[in-house]
Amino acid sequence: IQIYKVLFILLEWTCPGLPSPPRPICDLRVLNHFIQEARDAEVAMKSCRDGCGLTELVSVPQTTVNFDDWERKNATEQAQEVQTGLWLLHQALGLLQASMTDVDLNNHIDNSIRNLLSINAVLRSLNIQEYTPPTSAVGLEGTWKVSSVAEVLQVHVNFLRGKVRLLLVGAEACQQDVS
Amino acid sequence: MPVVSPHPDQWTYWESCFTLTRRTPPPSPPSASMLLAAEPENPKCFAEGRKAFTCFWEEDEERAGPVEQYSFTYAYQNENGSRCPLTVAPAAGGKKLFVCHLDRIQMFVQLDIQVHRESVMIHNRSLLVELVFLLDPPENVTVSSTGHQGQLNVSWVPPPLKYMDDSMIYEVMYAKEGDPAGQVEVARACSELILRGLQAATRYRVEVRVRLDGITYSGYWSAWSDPVWMETLPADLDPLIVSLTFIITFILFLLCLIVLLSHHRFFIKKVWPTIPVPDSKFQGLFTVYGGDLQEWLRQTSGGLWVTSALLYSEERPSPVEVLSELNLCRSLASPPLPPKACNASTQRDERELSNGSDSAQTDEWRATQQQHWLMERLRETRPGMGSSLLESQDTYVTLSTNNHSEEDHVDDTLEEALPLEMHVASRKTPLSEFHSDLGSGQQSSGSGRLSSQSSFEYPSQGWTPKGPGYTYMAVADSGVSMDYSPMSRVDDLGKVALYANEYKNEIPPHRRPFLTRQYHVHDDG
Repeated sequence: IQIYKVLFILLEWTCPGLPSPPRPICDLRVLNHFIQEARDAEVAMKSCRDGCGLTELVSVPQTTVNFDDWERKNATEQAQEVQTGLWLLHQALGLLQASMTDVDLNNHIDNSIRNLLSINAVLRSLNIQEYTPPTSAVGLEGTWKVSSVAEVLQVHVNFLRGKVRLLLVGAEACQQDVS
Repeated sequence: MPVVSPHPDQWTYWESCFTLTRRTPPPSPPSASMLLAAEPENPKCFAEGRKAFTCFWEEDEERAGPVEQYSFTYAYQNENGSRCPLTVAPAAGGKKLFVCHLDRIQMFVQLDIQVHRESVMIHNRSLLVELVFLLDPPENVTVSSTGHQGQLNVSWVPPPLKYMDDSMIYEVMYAKEGDPAGQVEVARACSELILRGLQAATRYRVEVRVRLDGITYSGYWSAWSDPVWMETLPADLDPLIVSLTFIITFILFLLCLIVLLSHHRFFIKKVWPTIPVPDSKFQGLFTVYGGDLQEWLRQTSGGLWVTSALLYSEERPSPVEVLSELNLCRSLASPPLPPKACNASTQRDERELSNGSDSAQTDEWRATQQQHWLMERLRETRPGMGSSLLESQDTYVTLSTNNHSEEDHVDDTLEEALPLEMHVASRKTPLSEFHSDLGSGQQSSGSGRLSSQSSFEYPSQGWTPKGPGYTYMAVADSGVSMDYSPMSRVDDLGKVALYANEYKNEIPPHRRPFLTRQYHVHDDG
């Protein structure tokens, strides 16, 4: 299987003129890697004393998951909820990036932002319709207002472990690979 | 960890199930007591599944109040708090357990818990529900043989938790029978494992437990499953050892075969010894006369006829006995076996012989007289014997001894040197001629090799005694293998090859017309 994957990738390089749909990324170890790095950022934040605060309230997605409630939603709703949350996190981490003076924490923030982009790519590989929420986050359902960097990073971790993971586990493209 | 490239489309993947570590397993108490020991904070809380959540704390029964005094409140992040109804359960060691059970839970959000006793907070804790899972042990643990030596296949059914299958990690503990400790193999995100490196023909105990891996979900180790026993396959013969054994056996077989072939005659003689067949010695005894020896003797010329094969035997010498001595044996009525008393008298004759040969003429006359007497005696005992002896063409040997006194001491041993004169006649030479030649010391007319077909014969009356004092015993030796040199010189008489034994009485060659020793006739057989 690994050989076929490499050959497929090489084939894509040799034939750039023939765009093909991306292969579904169903291996959750990819997401686990992003979760680990998000935790590293949260741990690093606990040791930050100076230059690691927010100057304004930031909207972040709610991370609460009730399995019964989640299963009552359809795939589209689930996808939109996850993509909205990823967008909100991206906005919040961007504000942190601009206000952080701690170099180590800034590196973690940068890494987290890159991981959010990678997750969007993973969602695209799963043929999940791309969704961009409205520009204004005010009044969006399923959001929280937080005032500290620690809360932002905590939400970041919980959101990835919760809703994002549930979305990937339940993705129809990955269900076809398992069967 | 997965390798993530800058391009999301080039991510790689890993196998989902693999073993991690091997270590000695820790002790495993029951669930409640396990949590009491494993979780330092109060209340102790654990999620049993996607919906059930339980918290409890322990107090001494003596110090604990009624349950109404206690309140258990909880609140999720950014939500209002709620109260959980408490129940009381007895515990070991005089303890009480206050238990809160929730049927609806939320995950991936912080949960704040507070316990009050009469408005005094006694316990406070914040946790994430997805991180305090306490699962049931794996079910249907099965251990089977893989068909290979030193291996066992262990399989089980994971706890039925949706969305969490790939987050489960298992510990498989296996130990030999009688071994309280054991070894642990860790498996991640799979439901079977192959144990390797086990001892052959050994009974093993296998147990499995589970917990969540701690990345997305986490919790405590479950209790160990019920033990399952299985015996490994017996040891197979190493193909290398089998092939080496075969090669060595083959080489040893070849060596034995070579030794047998190189010494096959020896082994054949040992295993199948040659049974002597008397037919060759007694020609016609069995084929013609049916084994009747008496009849055979009657028909085969009588007397002590011996075939050439017997006489020509090379295996052992046959002592030739002097059949008679002239002086001492005169009174004997029976022929030819020499009385042993005659031997002693021959010593005196020997001495007389050594005195010189100038009396050769006298001796010759004496030998003739003795011979005449002997022939008469033989005629008496063997009436049938005629002159056939001398007329026989066979070679024969005559023994003669010097005159001796009856008073001489009798020597019993035949080994005594006897002053014997040996006359050897060839096959075609009459004895008389031979004797005359010998008495004069002249060359005989061809004594030499003895005929192999001659037989023992008594000298017939046709013999001419050589001289006084000689007792001739004409013996037609039919089996003597010795080569008599021609009697061309008197000196040669003492050097005849017949004398295989030591010459005891040294006689100067020029004075040694007579042979003075005992000899052995070696048969050619």
